[in-house]
Amino acid sequence: MAECVKVCTGNFGKGAQDIEVYKKLGGYGDALKRVFEMSQFELIDYVQRSNLRGRGGAGFPTGMKWSFVPRNSGKPVYIVVNADEGEGGTFKDHFLMMEDPHRLIEGLIIAAWALGTRTAYIYCRGEFLPCIESLNKALNQAYAAGYLGENIMGTKFSLDIFVHRGAGAYICGEETALINSLEGQKGQPRLKPPFPAVSGAWKSPTCVNNVETIMALPWILQHEPEEYAKMGTPRAGGTKVFCISGDVKNPGVYEAPLGTPMMTMINEYAGGVVGGKLKAVLPGGSSCAPLNAEEAAVATMDYECLASMKTMFGSGAMIVINDTHNMVDLLNVLGNFYSHESCGQCTPCREGTGLLHRILNLIVDGKGHDGDVELMQSLCGGFGGVTICPLSISLGGPVSSYTAKFRKDFDEYIAKNPDHAKPRVQETYRPGIFW
Amino acid sequence: MSNYYNMPKLPTENSPKVEIFVDDRPVMVPGDTNLLEALKAVGIETPHICYHPYLPVSGNCRQCLVEQEGPRGRMLVISCYTPVVPGMKIYTPASSERVKNARKATQEFMLVNHPLDCPICDKAGECTLQENFMEAGQNESRLRPEVGKNYHGNPDHQFVDSKGQVRGGKHVDIGPRILLDEERCVQCDRCVRFMRSVAGDEQLQLAGRADHTYISTFPGEKLDHEYDLCVTDICPTGAMTAKYFRFQKRVWLLSHTPTVSMDDSLGANIWLDHADGKIWRMMPRCNPQVNRSWLSNTSRMAFQTFSENRLPAIDASAIKIGEGKVAIVLGGTCTIEDLAAARMLKDSLGGRAELFGGTFRAVGKADGIAKSGDPMANRKGFKVMGVGDNNLQDLVKRVSEFETLITVNADLFGEDAAAASPLEKIKNRIALSAFDDATAKKATVAFGIRHWSEVQGTMVNSLGILQKLNAAPTAPEAELRPAYEVLSQLSGTAITCASKAFKKAGEYASVLAEYSYDNIKSTGALLNGVEV
Amino acid sequence: MRNHIQGAVQFVANNRLKFDRPAQPIEALPDPAQSLGHVHKAVAQPSAKEVLDKLSTPEVKARCADLLSRYPVPQGALLEVLWVAQGVLGWCPREAIRWAANVCSCAPAHALGVATFYTMYKHAPTGRFLLQFCRNISCSIKGAAPLIKYVEKSLGIKSGETTPDGLFTILQVECLGACGNGPVMLVNDEFATDVENGQLTLKVGSHLTEESIDRILKWCYAREEKFPKGEPVRDVLGGEVKGHGGHPGAPGAKAQLQSSDYAPVSPVLNVKAEVDANGATLTWKAAPEFTKLVVEKKNGASWASVGEPGVKDKSFVDAKGKVGDVYRMISTTGERVAKPSKEATATQKPEPVEKAV
Repeated sequence: MAECVKVCTGNFGKGAQDIEVYKKLGGYGDALKRVFEMSQFELIDYVQRSNLRGRGGAGFPTGMKWSFVPRNSGKPVYIVVNADEGEGGTFKDHFLMMEDPHRLIEGLIIAAWALGTRTAYIYCRGEFLPCIESLNKALNQAYAAGYLGENIMGTKFSLDIFVHRGAGAYICGEETALINSLEGQKGQPRLKPPFPAVSGAWKSPTCVNNVETIMALPWILQHEPEEYAKMGTPRAGGTKVFCISGDVKNPGVYEAPLGTPMMTMINEYAGGVVGGKLKAVLPGGSSCAPLNAEEAAVATMDYECLASMKTMFGSGAMIVINDTHNMVDLLNVLGNFYSHESCGQCTPCREGTGLLHRILNLIVDGKGHDGDVELMQSLCGGFGGVTICPLSISLGGPVSSYTAKFRKDFDEYIAKNPDHAKPRVQETYRPGIFW
Repeated sequence: MSNYYNMPKLPTENSPKVEIFVDDRPVMVPGDTNLLEALKAVGIETPHICYHPYLPVSGNCRQCLVEQEGPRGRMLVISCYTPVVPGMKIYTPASSERVKNARKATQEFMLVNHPLDCPICDKAGECTLQENFMEAGQNESRLRPEVGKNYHGNPDHQFVDSKGQVRGGKHVDIGPRILLDEERCVQCDRCVRFMRSVAGDEQLQLAGRADHTYISTFPGEKLDHEYDLCVTDICPTGAMTAKYFRFQKRVWLLSHTPTVSMDDSLGANIWLDHADGKIWRMMPRCNPQVNRSWLSNTSRMAFQTFSENRLPAIDASAIKIGEGKVAIVLGGTCTIEDLAAARMLKDSLGGRAELFGGTFRAVGKADGIAKSGDPMANRKGFKVMGVGDNNLQDLVKRVSEFETLITVNADLFGEDAAAASPLEKIKNRIALSAFDDATAKKATVAFGIRHWSEVQGTMVNSLGILQKLNAAPTAPEAELRPAYEVLSQLSGTAITCASKAFKKAGEYASVLAEYSYDNIKSTGALLNGVEV
Repeated sequence: MRNHIQGAVQFVANNRLKFDRPAQPIEALPDPAQSLGHVHKAVAQPSAKEVLDKLSTPEVKARCADLLSRYPVPQGALLEVLWVAQGVLGWCPREAIRWAANVCSCAPAHALGVATFYTMYKHAPTGRFLLQFCRNISCSIKGAAPLIKYVEKSLGIKSGETTPDGLFTILQVECLGACGNGPVMLVNDEFATDVENGQLTLKVGSHLTEESIDRILKWCYAREEKFPKGEPVRDVLGGEVKGHGGHPGAPGAKAQLQSSDYAPVSPVLNVKAEVDANGATLTWKAAPEFTKLVVEKKNGASWASVGEPGVKDKSFVDAKGKVGDVYRMISTTGERVAKPSKEATATQKPEPVEKAV
């Protein structure tokens, strides 16, 4: 395990929740001074050169996202930090906000400078009350020290940051749903266009960035953008905070450069698979397609390699599964999750995720039937690209890939039903003697 | 719930025409609208459930999918939210198997948790879901009975039926005029958008999420608004049904007469749905310039009294206009034809007849939806025809001059008995009225005529639009005649057809002369030079 | 026989059924739930007065005022105001939802939709300790399901139920965002995998076991003895933040709009000059807000303007440019002139590499 530059997690375990400690560690210093001498355009160009990509899952280049925001439109520009981390297997933002809230605030000041933001919001999911407390404590310290509020550090620049507590909806991690939730509505994704960068919260330009993206900014500003870009792959610069969970010895949050081989992550960072042999890895959170042991052996953790293996990098949340688990059980868990978290807007997702979950439940209960797997695959075909947001595909994708890669598990379960091959009695309704 | 401020742009006659390619064939469509409307304009119907031309686009039913050629290949898009771009390439089910399958799949999802009780559903026959299913749906269920259904319903109303199935509220008394069947709701949120964006009073909301979503008012509150029955019109399924029409008549037994509501001077365009010589309901008829798709409860429910308390037809010889001065009072529901006939009568009587018009009822304010607030429906028509539209006070003051009073569709005593009481001084009082109202009771001769729902005719609404009334065959007696027939007969030149009466009106009002009764469109014609 | 059938068909065909009964609204039938039984037990709702009495304290008012000052539109504070109500009452009765709607000046039905959309607003009272167990993928890989069964058995209730003494409510929830510690639980709002020194802890590498659950339950009982009058109040919004100015324009906000000239104006970036047969071609990266661009060439010690390309132009050709000429560009944004760009020395444009056929 090569020693890696710690961009986001450098202050872990050092008590950086306190502003004095954070300043001693280099916070609120050179980076801000450097930023305050830059124009907005220069700063956006700087971030573009660092090749920083959004860390929330979609991996959109951050600098480019900022450059889409119309400046001088006469409307306020909002930055909303997406701390609604709810994807199964993802828990980096939780620990980033707990351990280093000031870095998030400093990153927000930098981002706000780039976009001319007066008011920024941190949308934190409701379950993270300890994180919100940690952030609010840090905000109080930052206000007291003059890093927030009117005329920050003697400049003409002012910024207020508010923490908005969500209330339990996974879908609010989608940026337009998050904006709706911030506006005090139901967290349902909006139709696009208009994209939030043009018309988002309260019809104003809005940038939604992940916690980790914002927290990478202070380091990038302390160093040179090329230094950051160099650490990753050609398409995406920098390091990534990986979350490793599941059947490994040391699950947790690890920062590593993009492009690290998957087995290095599992064996060297997380201490190896426990409880059995490696069966599958979900490389990017619960909604991505799993890789089986052979694929995991050759995969590297970056956007390109995982995309080429028909799965996705997502938020870098690896879930390691050993061979004692049946994939049907896990898919049932996902079915439960996604059918519970569908916002109820688009028909295929609203009705379809629940339907898939009911079919999976039957299979798990030993009432599976021949043809159920094909039926599920066919139903998932009805999800493809037809809904406003990708939540339906987040279940449709796993259903297709689990059934394709681990068909044996499904057949085993279905075989538990003694009547699994009995032909289905088709009830027909046709004009009978009454007509 | 989505961007609730994005109203669809609708094509107009002046829309620029652009060329797009539908199924690889070049087609000229209106260029300033969405794809769904553009395709409709060239005769390609796209099934849709949540889209409504006069509501903000919500895009949640995913039924109107088409394929669009884009930079990343052919993508499925919803046609209701895709603007028309010149040169765009569109594929409909006619050529694309993918679109066909996607619509079928959406249709299947739509019905997964929807009760299949069309035979006992009151919406059957005019249900969007049913129509879409018949067009593109899947005939056989692919699900095993064990999969079961997860009916949508308010947890407070859910119950377990005799088969052990959890059911949603089947007849929830959601408001004084509407019943809700929670299971039949497909969460299109049309009613939510209507109440929020059109009615401006967000009384309905989808509560819960995922497949537990249900439509609800705030607990303990009722859906109660002057326009709440519009919710039953726009509901694509049988979830919201109007109590007054529920289980009264199967909709396929109804015939529809397009006409204009004479309840209000906006002249909301309506359908009179009738069967067996009886009006069963009144539905709004879309007119983009007038009432769009909306109709107020007052106007809508007015039909219930149309057949009640009617005056019988009597022989016209009973009407005797004596000597002395004659006051002819015309009520607000008189059509242009009636006014023309009244002027003919005045002309025939020479200088001793005078025309009066107006109402004792208060004039309110326009609500911006489908009411102008003016109870005198044809007020603009009176102005066009040169008949006083507000000179009743004049008549009351000069009541001693007159010896004969003819009221036509004017219930003066019913509107304000105190204000009308001086008119009793006139000896010879002839009432031409559809109803046996207070004025008819006070009259010396009460002559039954047809109600406005039973006559051919025209009116000019408060926006200066000349609109056409059509006769529903619902007159209680075949002998009843329209007012213009009776008046023209009294004048000595009998006119028995509305088109001739309209032509006659053209002689009195030059602005009408350029139209003939038959070429007035169903959405009316904007009159030139009529002040609004 | 045949005649008989024909007759019957004709009879039916000619039978004009007439439904002449008076038009009467069909009354709503009695609620079938009354005869067949409700699925859910009705939750007793407190009266409006009880709720408003508890919510009309000065602290709550001050808190709501602070929250409203944070958003441009009062409705933005709806989620937070609902939290405040839940913090005071322990759950969200209907009247509290209506109160929140009034505070945020939105329709009560809207607030109902919001309060039922998000799962953390409780629509029935819960026990003093709300035990939320994650059942999502990482936790179930590590054995969440047997642990939940264990808790259910040791407390004698099922998930979603409250113990008769009103102490515990068990809930199964989706991902709690602490998958590295899976299986994990929330005790009220505190993450917990174990108890140490009388504190709930969430240590890296630790996870729930049957023993640690026993310790957590024991901690709860001890807590109940320590605070017999109920849990000490924990701020539902994680504490107040002092010193903020609110959102510009919101009621009670001091903040002003961002001044447009807080940052220096942008110079032209990435100026490059390459010489070919046509002269020197300059390329650069321009900000969208530029209103004027000037290209200057070094002439000894001074700079001479050689042209003004349009703000949307991508390149500029100086026909007299030679290799070794030094260029710079100066941009103007509105009234403000930026500092000159970095100097660019013209270089020979590399010959286009011909591809081998």
